[in-house]
Amino acid sequence: MSRDVVVTGVGCVGPYGLGRQALAQALAAGQPCASPVERTAGYHRPNAARLAGRCAGLDFAPWLSPQAARRMSDLSQYTVTACRMAMQDAGLSDVRGDGTAIVVATAHGPGGFTEQLARQILEKGGKAASPFLFTDCVANAAAGQAGIDLGARGPNVTICQREAGPLLALAQGAEEIARGRADLCFAGAADEIEPLVHAILDRFRAIARPTADGELPRPFDRRRNGALAAAGATMLVLEAEERARARGATVLARVGRTVRAFDPTATRAGFGRDADGLADTLRAGLGTALAAVDVVVSGAAGTRAGDALEAAVLRAALPHGPAVVAPKAVHGEYGGGTLAAGVLAVLGAPFAVPAACGEPDPDLCIRLAPRAEPARTVLLSALGGGGVAAWTLLHAE
Amino acid sequence: MSVPAVVVTGLGTVSSLGLDAEALWQGALACRRGVADLKLFPTATHRTTIACESPAVALPAELGELAAAERFAVKAARDAVAGLPVAALRTRRAGVFFGSSTGALFEGERYLAGLLRKEEPSLDMLATVQNDGPGTAVARALGVRGPVVTYSTACTSANVALGAALDALRSGEVDVAIAGGADELCEITYAGFNSLRAIDPQPTRPFRKSRAGLSMGEGSGVLLLETEANARARGARILCELAGAGRSCDAHHVSAPEPNGAGAVAAIRMALRDAGLQAGDVTFVNAHGTGTPHNDDAESKAMAALFGERAKSLPLTSTKSLVGHLLGAAGGIEAVLTTLSIVHRLLPPTAGDEPIDEALGLDVVTGAPRALPARNVGLSTNLAFGGNNAVVLLRSFGA
Repeated sequence: MSRDVVVTGVGCVGPYGLGRQALAQALAAGQPCASPVERTAGYHRPNAARLAGRCAGLDFAPWLSPQAARRMSDLSQYTVTACRMAMQDAGLSDVRGDGTAIVVATAHGPGGFTEQLARQILEKGGKAASPFLFTDCVANAAAGQAGIDLGARGPNVTICQREAGPLLALAQGAEEIARGRADLCFAGAADEIEPLVHAILDRFRAIARPTADGELPRPFDRRRNGALAAAGATMLVLEAEERARARGATVLARVGRTVRAFDPTATRAGFGRDADGLADTLRAGLGTALAAVDVVVSGAAGTRAGDALEAAVLRAALPHGPAVVAPKAVHGEYGGGTLAAGVLAVLGAPFAVPAACGEPDPDLCIRLAPRAEPARTVLLSALGGGGVAAWTLLHAE
Repeated sequence: MSVPAVVVTGLGTVSSLGLDAEALWQGALACRRGVADLKLFPTATHRTTIACESPAVALPAELGELAAAERFAVKAARDAVAGLPVAALRTRRAGVFFGSSTGALFEGERYLAGLLRKEEPSLDMLATVQNDGPGTAVARALGVRGPVVTYSTACTSANVALGAALDALRSGEVDVAIAGGADELCEITYAGFNSLRAIDPQPTRPFRKSRAGLSMGEGSGVLLLETEANARARGARILCELAGAGRSCDAHHVSAPEPNGAGAVAAIRMALRDAGLQAGDVTFVNAHGTGTPHNDDAESKAMAALFGERAKSLPLTSTKSLVGHLLGAAGGIEAVLTTLSIVHRLLPPTAGDEPIDEALGLDVVTGAPRALPARNVGLSTNLAFGGNNAVVLLRSFGA
């Protein structure tokens, strides 16, 4: 069995606010959605990054009752809220049953609960461990909570593959439908950025540090020195096309092929150097479809090595030079925002050149440009630390 | 276009019963338990004191600094691919599909302990604390260039990974797939399961009347999977066929199984459909069998719903009674044992001396290995937190 898969709904929670309209406004403004991170726990070094993309102050009540939220980690709250929002966006009122799948990617999992639990054990002993924290600190707790909340009894999958996770989740969700294991799938990504995770990312030099020019994520810019670590969740409603048509749903985008690859030159925590190998795999996987790409929604987040590798792969695989947008300059790294940005690119939402990216790195030969018209074929690109890469095509309806 | 058969051609394990699949198999046939007093960290502040710890794994220095779970994974994967030419791995036609529930969390705990003491621990301890550590360590060690994906669905992780590898092989994305899982013991899972009263202070007693919880384990189980055409072309010995996979969600509770096993039934039915088999074709079961009262009860109800009266005479075992619960690696090591059961036509027993819980209505293999028929279909089940269920079906090749 192989069925065509379409996107019929988007739910997203992030430092930009709630919903795809909020994200679209942020992308049109081109300003990073950053705010000061909590540092009182003492995890941060004095010269560490001070900003993160936080979801503080967002009201999830229209999608998640306060009572239910109290039983969940932040990660689960973001995920369930994004699922409910996506369901509403898709015009669905009841998704209960064996035919509904959930696929969530998370790079760091429920870091806040894990940290609290670890501190209980380390400071007070094993018997002090809270069963409540434990059951919601496994990586798949958010997908499980979404399954319970939605009554989704189909395949329930959690993928942990760092920055490549969101595209791998999208591909996995499409596969569940294409192979007939589900008719409907909530696929996306979620992450929370707690002070401990933020401080550790800073130690790895993965996130932007303060400079004379500010502390900003600058994809493809010569001044880039790291990403903006951000919390949030993005869930897409994927459906078998015939099912979506039958119920009169609005198709936002069609899900095309995904190519997955690994760069064995990557270090444990960093990026590799084999741009040619990755580009070969991308070309072999997508073939002539690459020539039709008119917009690349890049996964470049502002890291030195990651952006350089991304640029080299795009130059090698897409010599016709499609427009490139870098939404992580706005919504930050993690939380799956690029999935929603990809759908927005198909729909023609405006993308400004991010304010922090005004000095393109001449060595990368990638020039971000404003974009405001609907795309026919969008390539989503994600290179993950550790060497995993994925690319997915989204097509206009 | 016909769907290619996917076959198992290599196995690798690390467990408390030894550093390879042969040691595991001999230990399982002898009904030897890998459980002992836990040495990895002090247990004075914990509710229980035992676990199934794996021996230390030594690897060549050129593989660099690796966390325990990564060492388990790389050792098992290297064993699994031992018969495969290196060139068949260093290509985009080879992929890694791996499960891990906690990655290198023990090292993460030590790092946090250092921070809390106001020290500045080495970042090497943390480089792969994320759950993808074991899978990407395998990919790096073997030099694959194809898809690499880590699934983290708690105790079903490796079975989900096996199902994903099956998809990738059937679709033609890869010719060979290294699939399985790895996890290491750590204080968070040890204390966490204890906080739920889910760890038996004594060695675990699955399906026994006196059962009182699981024994924690660690290690790795890895299978080399290939399309039949690829295996035949290189003259590989085919051990069995990975015939189908299924997964579902209870949508019931974050940590407790749906009491009637309905989610497990849905996953098994999906796997049977996937394999083109009927419930009546299954000749034995390697059960999730954690030894917790609720799990074994729900799983027995699932068996009754699927197999009816035949559940009472269908050989079933819990290999977790031997090596403990390997969490995200459980499906990997249990798929290895299921494969070996098919190859040798012997089902290892469930360890323990206490009376079987007759109310469960199962034919639990105890005491000594049970002889299996010439042709077999083995069902390996895993159930997990999040209401997650994932199963795989392995069968005699050519059955």
